[in-house]
Amino acid sequence: MDGLAVRTAPVLTNGEVAPGVFHLTVCGSFPAKPAQFYMLRAWELDPLLARPMSVFERTEEQISFLYEVRGRGTELLSRLKSRDVLSLFGPLGNGWERSPGRVALIGGGCGIAPLLQTAKTFREVDLYLGFREKPFLVEAFDQAAIQLVVTSETGDGARKGVVTDGFDPVDYEACYACGPHGMLKTLAQICNTAGVPLFVSLEERMACGIGACLGCAVKTTNGVRRVCLDGPVFRAAEVIWDV
Amino acid sequence: MSDQSVQIGSLKLKNPVIAASGTFGFGAEYADLYDVSRLGAVCTKGLTLRPREGNPSPRLWETPCGLLNSIGLQNPGIDAFLQQELPRMKAQEIVTVANVWGERPTEYVEIVERLSESAVDAIELNLSCPNVPGEMLGQQAKAAGQVVKEVRKVSKKPLWVKLPPNVRLEVAQAVEEEGANAVCASNTFRAMAIDIETGKPVFGRVFAGLSGPAIRPIALRIVYELVDVLDIPVVGIGGITTWQDAVAFIMAGATAVQVGTANFIDPWSAIRIVEGLEEFMRHRRHSNWEEIRGCAH
Repeated sequence: MDGLAVRTAPVLTNGEVAPGVFHLTVCGSFPAKPAQFYMLRAWELDPLLARPMSVFERTEEQISFLYEVRGRGTELLSRLKSRDVLSLFGPLGNGWERSPGRVALIGGGCGIAPLLQTAKTFREVDLYLGFREKPFLVEAFDQAAIQLVVTSETGDGARKGVVTDGFDPVDYEACYACGPHGMLKTLAQICNTAGVPLFVSLEERMACGIGACLGCAVKTTNGVRRVCLDGPVFRAAEVIWDV
Repeated sequence: MSDQSVQIGSLKLKNPVIAASGTFGFGAEYADLYDVSRLGAVCTKGLTLRPREGNPSPRLWETPCGLLNSIGLQNPGIDAFLQQELPRMKAQEIVTVANVWGERPTEYVEIVERLSESAVDAIELNLSCPNVPGEMLGQQAKAAGQVVKEVRKVSKKPLWVKLPPNVRLEVAQAVEEEGANAVCASNTFRAMAIDIETGKPVFGRVFAGLSGPAIRPIALRIVYELVDVLDIPVVGIGGITTWQDAVAFIMAGATAVQVGTANFIDPWSAIRIVEGLEEFMRHRRHSNWEEIRGCAH
């Protein structure tokens, strides 16, 4: 009743941008606030569930997603070709809002996914993107940031190191991050020490995507909460990182 | 004009489609998508005497056409349900079946006592949750019958009993004898998954509950068998995903069906099944469900 719907749409492109990492573009106007997500499905009953995917980029004509092949669902998604049809359910989740002043966005691996639309919507942000190996899709961020710092654990095509190395939040009013659990936990400690608010977009296995199944639970100082409906964005200070 | 309604004891449902416990919260999430009062009824998330946090992550694991879950009865507790959730459900005119689970037999009695004066339309005793510690009461005829007997003493509400899968028929007969108004067959199947990278079970509690289309033919067989030995209505549950599935369960003798995991596949599943059944009845020119119920026997 509030505009949530399952819609089908044709695939425009679905290219492998790094080994096992795909950028899927779908035709159609799909609304989304920064860090909201869609449930994607391109099959009948097997796998049983749709796959929650953060929005990478959107315009009035198309929407795109960035994902790593990890199991059968993402494997099937990776085989989609131009003009194949998939279904999208969303937009879901709370998304995040820009704090006034200078802000930093920090992403690791496929966790860079929600940061492009965020950077374009927030405007005038500093971006820190970290990769395990060779960086991918960083050129898309070129125009979206005041400062763009790219790191790679192998040093391949970027400064060698991890994204949290030497990251100092002290100049920022707020930080926004998405990536592996370890990276987010480290950032939470850094930002907590500096007294700078950090917002994290979390990932968890999901069934319904709307808050009914309680499958995507995360422990917080406000009790057990749902990544799909209460999140995916949480204040890092409320997340209990060691469970 | 066809009549979709079904009768379960003293409770009349406008159609035979019920949202299954644990897949529908307290209806609020789906109420944003459609008018939930159009369903025959909604079974609430399993309620316990005190709030429960549930099990640690991971709580979900997919299998071919199936889903393993280990939620562990996360719920706000009976008091929060009565104060916050139930008034909202009744304000939306949702026929509400309170699903309850007790750590001990006496807890069932305590919870049902509190529900008996409330606005809930029926109570579903969950004697079959696979994701919590302790013996499953629904495995033993004597224990299951005893719980129903004690609960019956403190409440006049329609009483449904949700049975474990592969239930021994004497368990169902025992709860019927002690005053249950219906049995719901069945809960998820105890199952497991092993992570071959770590060599350990995926779930912290080792075992989890299997649901979804993968279990449907077994659930259908269970309903078929129960209908033969019981006089009270059997509510069919297990992998029902389409209106065709629902028709098959009614033909096996089910009075109503519960739609569970399908709500995760498509959040409009339950209401689509209602619409599909209406169309089926119209197309086949049936005037009520009695005309085909149990016809497969």
